[in-house]
Amino acid sequence: MSDPATGENVAGERPAPEPEGVTDETTVQGDDVELERTIGLVGGLAIGIGTMIGAGIFVFPGLAAAEAGLAATLSFAIGGVIALLVALPTSELATAMPRSGGGYYFISRSMGTSYGAIVGLGLWLGLVFASAFYLVGLGHYIVAVLAEVGISLAGLPVGPHVVLGLLFGAGLTALSVGGTENTAKLQNGIVVVLLAVLTGFLTYGVLDAAGVFGRQSVPQEFFSQGHLPVLSTAALVFTSYLGFAQVATVAGEIKQPSRNLPLAMVGSVVVVTLFYVVTIFVATSSFGADRLGTFGETAMVEVARDLLGLPGAVMILIAGLLATFSSANASILSASRSVYALSRDALLPRWASKINLKYGTPHIALGMAGGPILVLVATDQVEILAEVASFLHLVMYALICVALLVLRRRDPPWYDPSFRIPGYPAVPIVGAVASAGLIVFMNPASIVIGIAVMGGSYLWYRYYATDVKLKGDV
Amino acid sequence: MTERPSVLIPIRVLEGESIPDGVPTLLSDANVVLLGYHVIPEQTAPGQAKMQFEERATARLDELEALFEDAGATVNRRLVFTHQAQKTINRLSHEEDCLAVLIPDTVAEMDDVLVAVRGTVGIDRLARLVDGVFAGTGATVTLYHVAREGESDADAQTLLDGLADRLTDNGFDDDRIETRIEREQDPVDAIIDATVDFDVLVMGESDPTLATFVFGLPVDQVAEQFLGPVFVVQRERSESEE
Repeated sequence: MSDPATGENVAGERPAPEPEGVTDETTVQGDDVELERTIGLVGGLAIGIGTMIGAGIFVFPGLAAAEAGLAATLSFAIGGVIALLVALPTSELATAMPRSGGGYYFISRSMGTSYGAIVGLGLWLGLVFASAFYLVGLGHYIVAVLAEVGISLAGLPVGPHVVLGLLFGAGLTALSVGGTENTAKLQNGIVVVLLAVLTGFLTYGVLDAAGVFGRQSVPQEFFSQGHLPVLSTAALVFTSYLGFAQVATVAGEIKQPSRNLPLAMVGSVVVVTLFYVVTIFVATSSFGADRLGTFGETAMVEVARDLLGLPGAVMILIAGLLATFSSANASILSASRSVYALSRDALLPRWASKINLKYGTPHIALGMAGGPILVLVATDQVEILAEVASFLHLVMYALICVALLVLRRRDPPWYDPSFRIPGYPAVPIVGAVASAGLIVFMNPASIVIGIAVMGGSYLWYRYYATDVKLKGDV
Repeated sequence: MTERPSVLIPIRVLEGESIPDGVPTLLSDANVVLLGYHVIPEQTAPGQAKMQFEERATARLDELEALFEDAGATVNRRLVFTHQAQKTINRLSHEEDCLAVLIPDTVAEMDDVLVAVRGTVGIDRLARLVDGVFAGTGATVTLYHVAREGESDADAQTLLDGLADRLTDNGFDDDRIETRIEREQDPVDAIIDATVDFDVLVMGESDPTLATFVFGLPVDQVAEQFLGPVFVVQRERSESEE
């Protein structure tokens, strides 16, 4: 950025200096200091798909079918279109500013510190809400696995899935702090396995629904619950589309960012949208939306049991475990990266991104993700957690689109994206309106919590970092 | 005076890794590319590590740089925070056009240098390195080749003589060049056995093959057994590999 970030927060800390340049393989800092880029296209896609696929396929089908009937298919499609409308502008901005922090970085540099603080703190907490949501889903899957082998956890004072979610939340945080093994390879592997399992399962399901195997699918009305629930369900399931922005939070580590960032973001949105729509179609054809709705978070297991018997159920159970686990893991890591991005810019204390010498990991930032996650898991409010996560992300998405419009209009000399979106200005305008519009269809409780988080973020900025100037020369 | 060959020395700068005794003297005629690197786990952003460790790392690199400059080398330094050490080393070796990467180890005397020659591929770079680093010293270089099945002694001798000629053409002292041909099944074992009598080893970088995934790279196997510094001559990288 031509204009360096300036000012200091109440603790007297200044934003860290901006990098001097970006190459395909590094971020150059100062004379002879470089930050190596080590995540390739496959790694980027795995982050995006791995974060998203857990929720949309393994948690939402039952909940969505209960609300919108067969039209839940349309809800997922709407979510996918909105995600794509935002993924395109995000890609353009990311190729112009391939730095860690993603949406927060773009907005703070193009629209100023106050917007940046609201989005940045909102991104951190949004990821915290999302992680909590994935962990509750993971808890449900473990309970289902245990039930399958005949172990019942009934009789606990709280739901057993909450206890398990808490255990795994604490475990994952501890693993992120103390583990030095190659988790990215594992994540890539999990995503490949998941996609293979799902492709096989869904192909069979589609053929079955088409009557190839001689069974009757359940005839039903598309808008069985009316039209409005289609939109409120789209708002609910939008949590399934938050992952592509996580790719942008590690933009500073992506190799050949001008090529890989747009491909990873747009590619992961397209892939998961296809999988979601087909999944809901198969699931509702198999049972009918009404019955599917009664199965709750692990409805897909019943679908698999109906289609393929016990082996199918076991397969989807394992896939569900892997998927929710990888989503939770990826979100905790992204939340920690957001804390780093904020601390780098002096919007949070510098000590928040401190690295411990024993493991080389940012234990405080990870704790600032893990701690609040556990509190939220304990609430066991799946739908509220999902919606607040979506709310905070949607606010960021709308502002990302606005940031693109601002930068294209002002066209500052440093703004030189290597990827320019087609359909300007319609795409970012529709993207911004649709993102903001989706919020309206959420639960009032989610909206209130979301606005409270944003208000709190703004007050924090006014108290802690009023003098910090992050806006570039726009 | 021959052109100074660029040699990359990767140092884990924050983990107390230092330059072993004798290495600055060994490289006094070289252009040293001093790579201080710090490997961080994936949970950590490289920029995060930079924020915290840059000062310490820079101070340490200053000391190391002085060591080489005092010995007479020219020094080019880089500090990199990375998730993958090997990727960083490969990239810098290419970017700085390094003839070899040095795996440092203590060297007391520098009398006998073993140069393992695999074939004609890359022999030009091998010659430039040996000439640049050792021409100005009193060391004797032994050009060493493990003959493959079906390769005659005459062929092997031609290979080594070709290299020897290139060195002498450049002004390398003829008396300080020896050649040696070995016949044994496994080149890696043969080289390890041969190194016993030598102070410094020069060998080529190996292409990754299936066997290297199982047994590790030959270079690493040799370096583990040999107690002195090893120059690993880098193969030419084609543009498409970037």
